[in-house]
Amino acid sequence: MRKSLVVAFLLAFVFFAFAETVLNMVEVFTWPERTKVLKDIIKKFEAEHSGVKINLISPPYETAYQKVYTMISTKQPLDIVEVGDWSLSSLAAMGGLENLEPYIKNWDSVKNFLPGLLDAARTYKNTAYLIPNAVYVKTLYIRSDVLAKYGIKEAPKTMLEMYGMARYITDPRKGQYGFNFRGKGFPTDFIDLVVTSFFDDIDPNNMYLTKDGKIIWSDPRAKLGLELYVRLFKDTAPKDAINWGFSEQVNSFSSGIAPILFQDPDTLGILRSNLPDSAFKTAPLPVGPSGKAYPHFGFSGFGIVSYSKHKDLAWEFIKFFHRPDNLAYWCKNYGVLPPDKTLYYNDPFFSSEKYTGWKYMFNHPEKYQFTKQPIWNKNWGKWNELQEKTMQKVLLGKMSVDEVLKEWTKFWEEAGLK
Amino acid sequence: MRKPRRQARFFWFTVFPTLLLVLFLVVYPTIKGFIMSFYDYTIFTFWNPHFVGLRNYKAIFSDEDFYQALWNTIVWVAGSVTFQFLLGFGLALLMWKPFKGRGIYAGLVFYPWAISGFAIGLVWSWLLNGTYGVVNDILLRLNIVEYPIHFLSDPDWAMFSVILINVWYGIPFFAIMILAALQSIPRSVIEAAKIDGAGPARRLFSIVIPYIKPVILSTLLLRVIWVMNFPDIIYGTTRGGPAGATDILPVYMINTVFYENDYSKAAATGVIVLGILLAYTVIYMKVTSFKELEL
Amino acid sequence: MKIAAKVIKLVLLSMYLIFAVFPVLWIFLTSIKPPYEVYTFPVKYLPSHISFENYKKLFTYSDFGKYFLNSVVVASLSSLISTFFAMLAGYSLSRSKEKKVYYIVLFLFFAQMIPAYLVMIPQYVMFSRFHLIDKLIGVIIVYSGIGASFSTIMARGFFARIPKELEEAAMIDGCNRWQALFKVIIPLILPGISAVFSFSFVNSWNEVFVASLFLNNSEKYTVPVALYSFISKAGVNWGFLSAGLVVALVPTIIIFAFAQKYIVEGLTQGATKF
Repeated sequence: MRKSLVVAFLLAFVFFAFAETVLNMVEVFTWPERTKVLKDIIKKFEAEHSGVKINLISPPYETAYQKVYTMISTKQPLDIVEVGDWSLSSLAAMGGLENLEPYIKNWDSVKNFLPGLLDAARTYKNTAYLIPNAVYVKTLYIRSDVLAKYGIKEAPKTMLEMYGMARYITDPRKGQYGFNFRGKGFPTDFIDLVVTSFFDDIDPNNMYLTKDGKIIWSDPRAKLGLELYVRLFKDTAPKDAINWGFSEQVNSFSSGIAPILFQDPDTLGILRSNLPDSAFKTAPLPVGPSGKAYPHFGFSGFGIVSYSKHKDLAWEFIKFFHRPDNLAYWCKNYGVLPPDKTLYYNDPFFSSEKYTGWKYMFNHPEKYQFTKQPIWNKNWGKWNELQEKTMQKVLLGKMSVDEVLKEWTKFWEEAGLK
Repeated sequence: MRKPRRQARFFWFTVFPTLLLVLFLVVYPTIKGFIMSFYDYTIFTFWNPHFVGLRNYKAIFSDEDFYQALWNTIVWVAGSVTFQFLLGFGLALLMWKPFKGRGIYAGLVFYPWAISGFAIGLVWSWLLNGTYGVVNDILLRLNIVEYPIHFLSDPDWAMFSVILINVWYGIPFFAIMILAALQSIPRSVIEAAKIDGAGPARRLFSIVIPYIKPVILSTLLLRVIWVMNFPDIIYGTTRGGPAGATDILPVYMINTVFYENDYSKAAATGVIVLGILLAYTVIYMKVTSFKELEL
Repeated sequence: MKIAAKVIKLVLLSMYLIFAVFPVLWIFLTSIKPPYEVYTFPVKYLPSHISFENYKKLFTYSDFGKYFLNSVVVASLSSLISTFFAMLAGYSLSRSKEKKVYYIVLFLFFAQMIPAYLVMIPQYVMFSRFHLIDKLIGVIIVYSGIGASFSTIMARGFFARIPKELEEAAMIDGCNRWQALFKVIIPLILPGISAVFSFSFVNSWNEVFVASLFLNNSEKYTVPVALYSFISKAGVNWGFLSAGLVVALVPTIIIFAFAQKYIVEGLTQGATKF
């Protein structure tokens, strides 16, 4: 069936040799260097598929999601859409995305995906609506040169050790701080990482539940975790950090003001252009008092728009993008982890020292248990808003840790976690 | 009989294009937005929304953050407009009497009016940054402060800072209006007062201000409306933070779209803003017995 | 006493000048720094040498010339349209005292109170039906609509200052109403018209939210959208952005330099009378 479609397609090409087929595609994590990499791959695709033109739309980063939502809602011409994990459920639930399972069935490359990744991408109704093109897992970045000045040579192995270290080097008079704190613009991951590290029984399918089905925010261990998080802010971060988003984090890491950072792999690309290679390192995330940490797979990927008139061609492009050579080019230059596990063995680039943090975590499942944030929940967007705002209140001393945990528990009791 | 009809035709012919434009591009979408506020238009339901009555309004009125935003909006509008007005008035008085280079001076100080609010937000958020900001650098170097001030991240400073930026942005508008009004005061009126022995303060309060009162009143009315509908600066600096300290209603509305993707709740907020502005305008006109609309 | 007053005045005026100019000056200084000096800490105020690297990059890495042209087209056309319409309507609304005029003016005043964010999504849905998304003409129409009501109120204020006798005299001389309007009245209120035009030009030139929602492909971007897109996930690219801001200021500076006198005159005339 699919083969005959492809044949029909090719025939159509011959027939319409002069008529160009235009695929419209939109990206969301816009960033000039990244757009350039994507465009290179598109050019290659166009060269191999005469008569096809891909029109890439790169909206300003901050408005990109809204743009995609409004475009799909009003059925603007669009075939391929880049979707981030957090918006996947919304777009799938509204019916904007094509079910990709039938396409995946006949696709070999999918077997090479990192274990659990496609599973994570089946966020909505256990169906794949996108193919991950990049994997984001938080790891620990340290400015080894700055820490060395204080006689610190090793990355911290536990959260408490990290706190001690950050506190030790903090000296506001010299403009030196420790932990690179995230105050605004979706600080969810950062709060969650610190708090869950106090648990040893997080549900592998739902980060906000323990294995026996209790909401973590109502657990006394959450209080200990959150208290540490507040201490990290009060004792080791500039007051200003309450207003820090991603770019402030990167800037203050680059300038050395706050040399201990949790971040995604795409930060690597930015840091490489800001800093000499010897100035920073990655290390596995510090584990909590439980001896564990709970990272999760963040991902973005390409989906096909449900009302697209060129679905097969769109799939053709996605397959093309996932060819090992293209994927490697993308991941290296954009600086994300490849979704394809073979690349980690076959390409020396990904075994370089800069990937130590992630490799260690992937290879030590007893310490690093991957889990999932409940991003499929309809209230996930609201949660981010609430968590950010109430967390800021706690940091400013306008709300207590107990109060905020009560509010968060109540939020998830009402939103339903299962 | 023919003449009035031709006149009426002329009247509608000239007024029609504007009316059509406004009806089509402002009023129709407003009605749509109004209707939308009674439905559940979220990203999940965009293709099949259904009627939910007052649910969106109830959600807003039971949200503590809404009241915080409402209060912030009042502070923001009152603070911005008061200082824009007072400083703009002062500047206009200083520039009233011609001096050498006044034209160039006016060009330089009035210019901020023509810059985009969003860009202004960005530029100032760099200037006021608490860690590497230029303003702090200057204050530290001059030994005015010992530690940098966290203008935008300290909730006690944040509202002050965004108002400061808005005042910087809005002074020119008031100064331009008032300066031109001052220049329309006949010289002879002032001279006569001088001869009568009225000092500068008395001249200001008993002659100048009464004379330019209509300009002041109408400018104040307009500015309040515009400043209330102006999220650009706050959006470009704090986006309503920290902890909602600078969250004004239009920013609250944008965040509803940004985080919750709930277009109907945002529309309901917009309707509330519009209601507040209408009430304000009516009261303002009553209180000032402002008859400009009657011709 | 007199000298003291003068000195105080001079000091106050200079202080305000510094306050008003400093942010723009800072952006200008940043734009002519070599890229590696943009983020230095502690702050460095003057560039070690003047470099146009940021400008060069602005025009080579991004298609800034194109964006600039788009912005010129969008801002001039939309303000021409709204100014022209406002001129016609403003004239008629200043010449009649009937009740309907009162209601129309009230209606226009009401229209300019409506929060842009209330209407943006419905406008988008409507425009997508007319296939006006991702087209400059769509943005031009929206801007004309946004500007129309206030422009009309403003224009009406100017016309109100022209005595009725003038066009009556012209009509006795054999002009019809249109001729009287265009040959006699409008030349008299050109300052006001240029104020209306400049006002809507500046607003359209700076508008960013509608433009970034309605325009998709980068070849259609206007300057503010392009500036907005210099803020990426990786943060604000200040080298680019400062150079872009300086270039974006040029047209409004030109308009301001030429029309400042008229804007000042016009705005007051317009504002004293709604």
